[in-house]
Amino acid sequence: MTLSHAHSNPQKPARVVVLGSGGFLGRHLLQACAAAGIEATGLGSRDVNLADASAPARLVRQLRPKDVLVFLAALTPEKGRDSGTLMRNLAMARAVGEATHSAEIAQLVYASSEAVYSFATALISEETPAVPLDLYGAMHRTRELILAGEAKAPLAILRLTAVYGAGDTHNSYGPNRFLHQALKDARIPLFGNGEETRDHLHVDDAVDLILKVVTHGSTGLLNLATGKSETFRAVADMIAARAGRPVEVAPSARQNPATHRHFDTTNLLRAFPGKRFKPLGDGWAAMLADAKADARG
Amino acid sequence: MSPPVIGFAGMTHLGLVSASAVAGRGFEVVCFDADRALIDRLARQDWPVLEPGLDELIRGNGPRQRFTGARADIKRCDVVYVGPDVPTDDQGASDVSGLTNLICDVAGAIKPDAVMVVLSQVPPGYTRALGVLPLERLYYQVETLVFGQAVERAMKPERTIVGCADPAAPLDARFRAVLDAFGCPILPMRYESAELAKISINCCLVASITVGNTLAELCERIGADWSEIAPALKLDRRIGPHAYLAPGLGIAGGNLERDLATVQRLSQVHGTEAGLIAAWLHHSRYRRDWPLRQLHARVLSEITDPLIGILGVTYKENTRSIMNSPAVALIKELTGCRLIVFDPAVRASAQWHPRMTLAEDALAVCAGADALVIMTPWPQFRAIEPADISSRLRGRVVVDPFSVLDRAAAAAGGLEHVVLGAPLVHAE
Repeated sequence: MTLSHAHSNPQKPARVVVLGSGGFLGRHLLQACAAAGIEATGLGSRDVNLADASAPARLVRQLRPKDVLVFLAALTPEKGRDSGTLMRNLAMARAVGEATHSAEIAQLVYASSEAVYSFATALISEETPAVPLDLYGAMHRTRELILAGEAKAPLAILRLTAVYGAGDTHNSYGPNRFLHQALKDARIPLFGNGEETRDHLHVDDAVDLILKVVTHGSTGLLNLATGKSETFRAVADMIAARAGRPVEVAPSARQNPATHRHFDTTNLLRAFPGKRFKPLGDGWAAMLADAKADARG
Repeated sequence: MSPPVIGFAGMTHLGLVSASAVAGRGFEVVCFDADRALIDRLARQDWPVLEPGLDELIRGNGPRQRFTGARADIKRCDVVYVGPDVPTDDQGASDVSGLTNLICDVAGAIKPDAVMVVLSQVPPGYTRALGVLPLERLYYQVETLVFGQAVERAMKPERTIVGCADPAAPLDARFRAVLDAFGCPILPMRYESAELAKISINCCLVASITVGNTLAELCERIGADWSEIAPALKLDRRIGPHAYLAPGLGIAGGNLERDLATVQRLSQVHGTEAGLIAAWLHHSRYRRDWPLRQLHARVLSEITDPLIGILGVTYKENTRSIMNSPAVALIKELTGCRLIVFDPAVRASAQWHPRMTLAEDALAVCAGADALVIMTPWPQFRAIEPADISSRLRGRVVVDPFSVLDRAAAAAGGLEHVVLGAPLVHAE
């Protein structure tokens, strides 16, 4: 299954409702909607606690017919990797699916994750079997199945690779942590020599692609990635070079085998011909400038 | 024994070429097809397929090879081959209903002591289950058709594989006389073995193709050149000089895909492990889109509404077949572009792309184009001077998967020449 478009030419939706608007991606998506002249509203956990039993009815009251619902909300691994977190996340998906039974929305867009894939395949495409390695990956895969089975709305599932950019609040091993380590400690510690390869998607490209999916009324499955992976070492070196101060990139003894992840983005090119991605260097430079401004501010 | 008269039923690609080859070996051959329009066309020497050497072969056969729409004419034949092309769907599944109908039709028309030879490719188990003739009068012969080389291979097969009810029993003498005329080893075996032998051959070919393509892609990334490596492999006795190691755009044409689909189906039915087949098919689809990825990286992400020139539509050179053609797939994918297309044998269909014009010759495709893609390695394209392309092309990018153009000349002509299996040669 890949992506297909209801509209060959982009059309503005009646309204976009973002679930998880307080998060990194949600905030950027609302800004992008505003910039594109698309009416949009965000719902955070304070507006509707999706894990609550009353969530479906509360969510329905927030929705209008023809809305596009973009489901970004999730408890990330930083908030828990246990089965309790898993079950709360699944309850959120169940609530969204149930809400679509009475709210006649135009489209449901679910932001899933590359975590649904294992590291067994060197080059990942939409045909790669989803074999999650942990509860976080299992959560996204199960949510996909819940929504595909229970939601009454045209569904697009987008599996995002690691997203970076200004305002990233995640602090797991990767560019955002590297950036703050560079600015605060002038030292970026690596696992091994940072040989692992990952595909890093700038948040502007992520929201651009989500909006393309929305405006084309797309349904199906698509991986959101650039198709170009870099080692963590290369990312650390790029950040260090732009930090404006000497930064040590510090290898360490490797404890675990290096894993690699590359994406075959042919289906993305097919869905959105001509899509241009922000070059990595530009992305880091913008992110660094933003972080420095935050530090000064 | 007087020379046997040989019949062929089904005058599409396989039947026509095979009948012509048997006539070419000196036998009187009756070529039957119920399609009167096709027979009229053949009688006018208007061949429905493009195969090098076919015209010369049939003309040389003269009155030994006769085309007829009258079923009664095969009553004269001692050996009757049934060899219509078997259609496949998009998933590679064969539809043998037409073949079965023709076999039943022919079985009711041949003389009582004639033998029938099923030549079309069939799934294992098909021949034995037919039940139209006593098994001692029924054979299956593995066809060796290769589009674009069909005449050469039909005239000079490496070996003939014959499926029969009892491999230990002597072959019918009249059938044996036909096979002996080709001067190659004859391998009788059980029907099922022969039917699977053809599929096995194609699986080995796909394995070679996939190995070549897998490693050629790696070459593109690490600075190696597959065109330097492949000759070394071909000198290895375990691999061989004719191994399918040239990098390409996956498998196409329909025949290999059909055999892979058959193995997958049989493995599912019988519970055997065949994950390899799925991997081959996945890899083939991935390689098919190589030109699209190259164009996107170098042109589509840089230029708005580009004009792309495409040379070649058929799935390979020297054929009119477009079955699973990567060129057709590419044309359909380039929705955001204007296209100008030329193929020496086939006119691209307007249904494939809304903004496509057809050029009358190869160089006209280059005029004002932002990039050129050479999707089929037709011999005439090799004669084009890169400088002539360069002077007409607006852009610099030439995606040439099969390295039709000379790489050094392309670089000297200022072209960004992108080929399979080798690092990019930068324009001078």
